[in-house]
Amino acid sequence: MSNPAKISATVRNFDNAPCGYLTFDEEGNILETNNRLREWLGISTADLEGSHVTHLFSMASRIVFETSIAPLLTLKGQVEGASLDLRAKNGAKIPVLLSAEATGTGSQRLTTLVFLLADARRNFERELAMARSEAQAQLLMKQREGELREQFIAILGHDLRNPLTSISSAARMLSAEPLSDRGKEIIKLTQGSIQRMSLLIANVLDFTRNRLGGGIELNLSDGKELEREIRQVVEELRSAHSGREIRLEISKQESVRCDVWRVGQLLSNLLGNALTYGDPAQPIRVVCSALKDGGLELSVWNGGKPIPPSAMERLFDPFVRSTNHDDPRGLGLGLHIASEIAKTHGGSLDVSSNVERTVFTFRLPNGELET
Amino acid sequence: MSAIARHNVQTSGSGERVMLFAHGFGCDQTMWRHVAPQFEDTFKVTTFDYVGAGESDSSAYDPDKYAKLDGYAADVVEIGEELNIENGIFVGHSVSAMIGALAALQRPAMFSTLVMVGPSPRYIDDTDYVGGFSGEDIDDLLTSLKDNPLAWSASMGPAIIGNPDRPEFGHELAESFCKLDPEIAYGFARATFTSDNRADLPNITASTLILQCRDDIIASKQVGEYVRDHIPKSKLVMLNASGHCPNLTAPDQVSAAIRDFV
Repeated sequence: MSNPAKISATVRNFDNAPCGYLTFDEEGNILETNNRLREWLGISTADLEGSHVTHLFSMASRIVFETSIAPLLTLKGQVEGASLDLRAKNGAKIPVLLSAEATGTGSQRLTTLVFLLADARRNFERELAMARSEAQAQLLMKQREGELREQFIAILGHDLRNPLTSISSAARMLSAEPLSDRGKEIIKLTQGSIQRMSLLIANVLDFTRNRLGGGIELNLSDGKELEREIRQVVEELRSAHSGREIRLEISKQESVRCDVWRVGQLLSNLLGNALTYGDPAQPIRVVCSALKDGGLELSVWNGGKPIPPSAMERLFDPFVRSTNHDDPRGLGLGLHIASEIAKTHGGSLDVSSNVERTVFTFRLPNGELET
Repeated sequence: MSAIARHNVQTSGSGERVMLFAHGFGCDQTMWRHVAPQFEDTFKVTTFDYVGAGESDSSAYDPDKYAKLDGYAADVVEIGEELNIENGIFVGHSVSAMIGALAALQRPAMFSTLVMVGPSPRYIDDTDYVGGFSGEDIDDLLTSLKDNPLAWSASMGPAIIGNPDRPEFGHELAESFCKLDPEIAYGFARATFTSDNRADLPNITASTLILQCRDDIIASKQVGEYVRDHIPKSKLVMLNASGHCPNLTAPDQVSAAIRDFV
């Protein structure tokens, strides 16, 4: 059983509910409004008589209402949460969220609008939008700066190569001259330094090329030259580090399709790492063997302090250098480039490290790279 | 990508002449869903979405090209070329009335008939000319679109429509209406509401039908009469409808008036 007194109280409450409410007919003429809405707008029922619904909105919102909300109400029958401005009699703008529903057709068509005040929300949205556009602008600027920096490095690396090539051939010519024992020693050291520098430049160039979107290019061959390349890399590093022992163990194997020079660069980087961080008193081992499928497995072993677990995660990231070493050398690009070379080949580069030994292993499955 | 693909061009019907329907600012080709099909028996009926609206290819948006209505008119000409339109009828709602006029000025042989629904050659008042809006109103609109991009977000999502007249479609027909990319909507609003094509009207050679509603706050009766007075071969028909979108609220009247004219 309904209670008439309670119902009339409800109607009165609705008149003052915390939302604006209005209905209009098929022509857009306002039929009824609640007290709350009239209060917001500072108008009386008489003011509203026969007036068109669009007149309650600011000019900007009238355009939005007529070009977007009204068509949607016809097509869809409802609109939820559109953000518009009402205009009070005194000219003040009142930001509101609008939900609307239309029922019936022809002259029976009735549209109901409900408004919620949205001042705080509008400010919040505006702040969000501003924060987003600022963040986007900053990101864009940083990206441009980053690109410029990388281009600079790429050009620098490229320009450093030429004089280095001259120094290298000068040193080679000089080594063919009759020299004192001390002179021979100095030439050897010089050639070691030239070789390190040239590897460093190659890594920097690869890194920037990769970052600039060029990627690491592979010059694939049948891999018959690989063994010779591995021997040569080991030989070069041996002669540059005469105080260190590097053992090379190559088992007989099928040739595997790869970029021979790149695999040499990978090995060079792994050996450079082992020479820098390994215990100088213990030999370094380079082991080259065949995978079951005929692919290649190439690993570099060294003794000394193990790599701390905390460093493992970012080991192949660029610019990461050992923190448990007193003499950090290089840019920390060697392992990154090595892992990129492995990836580009469709292979893998893994590491295991304990108190006895640290081993980096490059695996290149057979048939990974098509002709 | 072809202009046909970029603009989600839809073609139906059969006939000698092509009738190209163009939507206005704020919506997409669904604006014509109650009118266009009525011409399928006698015309080749074509609808499309401008870049940034509906199912068009938003990636084709170029802020410089679309800073003026000419950018949109160039697209209309491109669509016309791909469809080999000759002696066609361009039906443009709202801002599209002027886009169609620009296209017809460029290619008079492509569109020999123009139908303008709620046209306005200039929205901002100018000395003796009453466009209906002050420069401030339009600045206000553009500012509100810029810092209140969510104005439309609620209305842009896909919706299930219940169609009381066609129960066979029921609630299965999931569609999105009036989808607008907010960034592009801002650019389109600017190109639209800052346009001034009054000087182009006297050069139009196409025979032109102007359809005008009562109480249209976007394009008033006065503006419609101005358009009629300045296009040489033109006729104005007052519809018994109010608002800016008679193609939705009074589709049968719109169709009847077009049929009478062409």
